[in-house]
Amino acid sequence: MYIVQVLVNGILLGGIYAGIGLGMSLILGIVKLTNLAHGEYIIMGAFLSSILTTALGIDPLLTLFVSVPTMFFFGYALQRVLINHGMKRGAEPALLVTFGISIILKDGMLMLFTPDARHVATSYSNSVVTVAGIDISLLNIILLIVCAVFIFVLKRFLEKTDIGRAIRATADDTEAAQLSGINVAHTFAIAMGIATAASAVAGTCVSMKWTFYPTSGGEYLLIAFVVVVISGLGDICGTLLAGVMFGLMQVIGGASYGRLISYIFLIVILVFNPRELMGRFLRDRRERSLSKKEVKADE
Amino acid sequence: MNKKKIILGLGFVVIGLLLFTFGEVGLFSNNAMRYLLQIFIYITLGEMWNLLSGFAGMTSLGQQTFIGIAGYSIAMATTVYKMNFGTGILIGVGICIVTSSLLAFLLLKMEGMYFSITTWVIAEALGTFFLSWGYVGQGAGMTISISPYPRIDALYAMSLILCFVTLIVVYLLLNSRLGLGLTAMRDNISAASCMGVNIGRSKFVVYLIAAVFTGLAGSILFINKGTIYPESGFSIGWTISMVFIVIIGGSGTIEGPIIGSVIYVFLQEFLAHYPGWSNIILGIIAIVIILYMPEGIVGAIRNRSFTKLLKKSKGK
Amino acid sequence: MSSTLLQFDNVSVKYGDFTAVSDVTMSFFEGSIIGLIGTNGAGKTSLMNAAMGLTPISSGKVSIAGEDITKVPVEKKLDYGMCLVPQGGHCFNRMSVQDNLLVGGISSKAKHGRDAKSMRSDNLEKVYDLFPILKEKANVPAGSLSGGQRQMVAIGRALMSSPKIILFDELSLGLAPVVVKDIYATIKKINETERTTIILIEQDTNRVLSMTDYAYIMLKGKVALEGDSDSLDPEEVKKAYFGI
Repeated sequence: MYIVQVLVNGILLGGIYAGIGLGMSLILGIVKLTNLAHGEYIIMGAFLSSILTTALGIDPLLTLFVSVPTMFFFGYALQRVLINHGMKRGAEPALLVTFGISIILKDGMLMLFTPDARHVATSYSNSVVTVAGIDISLLNIILLIVCAVFIFVLKRFLEKTDIGRAIRATADDTEAAQLSGINVAHTFAIAMGIATAASAVAGTCVSMKWTFYPTSGGEYLLIAFVVVVISGLGDICGTLLAGVMFGLMQVIGGASYGRLISYIFLIVILVFNPRELMGRFLRDRRERSLSKKEVKADE
Repeated sequence: MNKKKIILGLGFVVIGLLLFTFGEVGLFSNNAMRYLLQIFIYITLGEMWNLLSGFAGMTSLGQQTFIGIAGYSIAMATTVYKMNFGTGILIGVGICIVTSSLLAFLLLKMEGMYFSITTWVIAEALGTFFLSWGYVGQGAGMTISISPYPRIDALYAMSLILCFVTLIVVYLLLNSRLGLGLTAMRDNISAASCMGVNIGRSKFVVYLIAAVFTGLAGSILFINKGTIYPESGFSIGWTISMVFIVIIGGSGTIEGPIIGSVIYVFLQEFLAHYPGWSNIILGIIAIVIILYMPEGIVGAIRNRSFTKLLKKSKGK
Repeated sequence: MSSTLLQFDNVSVKYGDFTAVSDVTMSFFEGSIIGLIGTNGAGKTSLMNAAMGLTPISSGKVSIAGEDITKVPVEKKLDYGMCLVPQGGHCFNRMSVQDNLLVGGISSKAKHGRDAKSMRSDNLEKVYDLFPILKEKANVPAGSLSGGQRQMVAIGRALMSSPKIILFDELSLGLAPVVVKDIYATIKKINETERTTIILIEQDTNRVLSMTDYAYIMLKGKVALEGDSDSLDPEEVKKAYFGI
């Protein structure tokens, strides 16, 4: 019974892990950029949650109404002003620019906020819901719902809106997108803005679930990276599944070995290189069901 | 062309001998030697990072792995096993060779960002591990115990020799068949492999050499410091300095890291007055250089003199 | 009397030391179908890519209806009604056919504001009328279509923006003759019904000359020969094409 309880809570954490990986997956898939500052964006989101909760005296989830647009504009500006420019110089310069940004943000936060640990506690932080004899953390459930809703909304946005289509088109074929009238620099910046906004959501969840420091960014960059590698790039559904897998690994490994297990798992995956593990699996399933419906090709 | 090379080569040797003699004779103050030691160490680190990134296309964010390994080797050897520091340095180099060979199997299968992030993950993992490893004193760190403790002029000489050996090795490497293959790889990897350049082997050799010299630099660094902790040994700060040095000096050139190190050491001195700001300012400068002067200082000078040369010949 | 819609004046395109296009002057009249013929490396694609803004123009002027658009960035060229269907069509393979077409309609939305929605569905209907097979496969990822169908998607996408002039870069490349015939017939229909100016870049001389009103033959970056398609001497054309 205890094992089931541990597993269930681990699966629920999958939401947060998916949220952590989401921003990185978007940037990698759309802008084809590795954002080494991703971890710092999440910590920024966590700090915003902490500060706004204290300042406004409201539930941290409500602070999302402020932090999400703020982080969106921040990400948009950073991409438009700095990173697009860096990308023109090449992949390695772009990577190093994001590295530079991560250092600046980390030390900036250290100076602004002191190295102290932070956490955002709520009245329901430790509440437990008992279902069929197992104790489930209410916080885990709530955070899973928040992340799942965000992911769902994002998916609809990308599928149904013009901007969403423009983003997908730019990710698919940048030149053809330009020829179709899409401003690629602006689109990349919007994608980055969305990724940063996702980090605001993830950061808020992180602030509510765990303690964090200005230097915690590296930890979350690693988590995001593992989630992205497991899920394949840019596939939103895969991210959720990957998050769950990661959550399971963490609870199985426990506090001391959870991190080590993720390192090892990551390295195993990278070496045997099934890079689009989830993505390919989902894509194959989709294509198989399509080919059954498809009319025979004419040539 | 050959005449130019001979003159440069002679100049190099002469400068090296002068620097060495001045140190021995006592012409340099202790303070001056401290600065020069820093500069020589950073030149070594920078040249190695440049070799990896600027020539072999491997952007490593985890060279601190070898700095930490070498530093702890010296600490263990001298403090726990009471060996002399020469042996300690050799052990450090040995472990670096073994580690880099093993890691190479892992890393050389990866491209681009996967390679970069994995090198960083490995360094972080080691740092975390050492933090809880009783054998190395966990978070309390270790001291380097040498008696008698080498004085600054001995360390200065060691770092000078290391620096010059590094420069010679880099020069020879880049002008060897392996090196030409590297330059070809840097410019076009598929064309290079078509022409018979053994990419896997070239990268392996470069990675190993970089590990060895980075480790050696680390040894001298920590003998100079006297103590080592997991945070200082495996700190990302080492990578930050290497990146900065190479970017400001000019990636893909031998002179680049030399200029970059000099600028870096003096900049650090200046930034020490503003604690907390140093990395931020370094980061800002690095970003500005990447965006507006991507060839670095050396590259910019070369381009300008080349363009002047072109204009002169066209004007005729 | 038809006026000049698109005009190239002394356009040169250089890649470093290499001159791909040298001092080319061309006029494209409104409502006509013009051919641009030449072998590989003659500079046809380089010229069109530069005119669209994908690569920089070293010197010269590009104007539409008298307006200088040389410096206008790629994505804005569509606002002037100028559209390129690149070599190979270039669909967004991971997106559905309908999504591909809708992407084409994104910029016209900016132009027409409130009318945009109806304009877009009108255009979509027109494209489906022209290429019925696309309507069947509306929700299928474009990447799974055949070569000819993908070319149709690319053309449909271009039409969604209600362009005044469409440049087709080697439409027939890699397609079966039967398919090519059908597509060209459709293009002719587009020209006749919408009075869209069409520029056909091709290597196949005969087909182009039979379809077009006017033709330019390029060789080594320069215009080697030009004239009304039906009055061009086939011998002269061959000489200009091969550079004899």
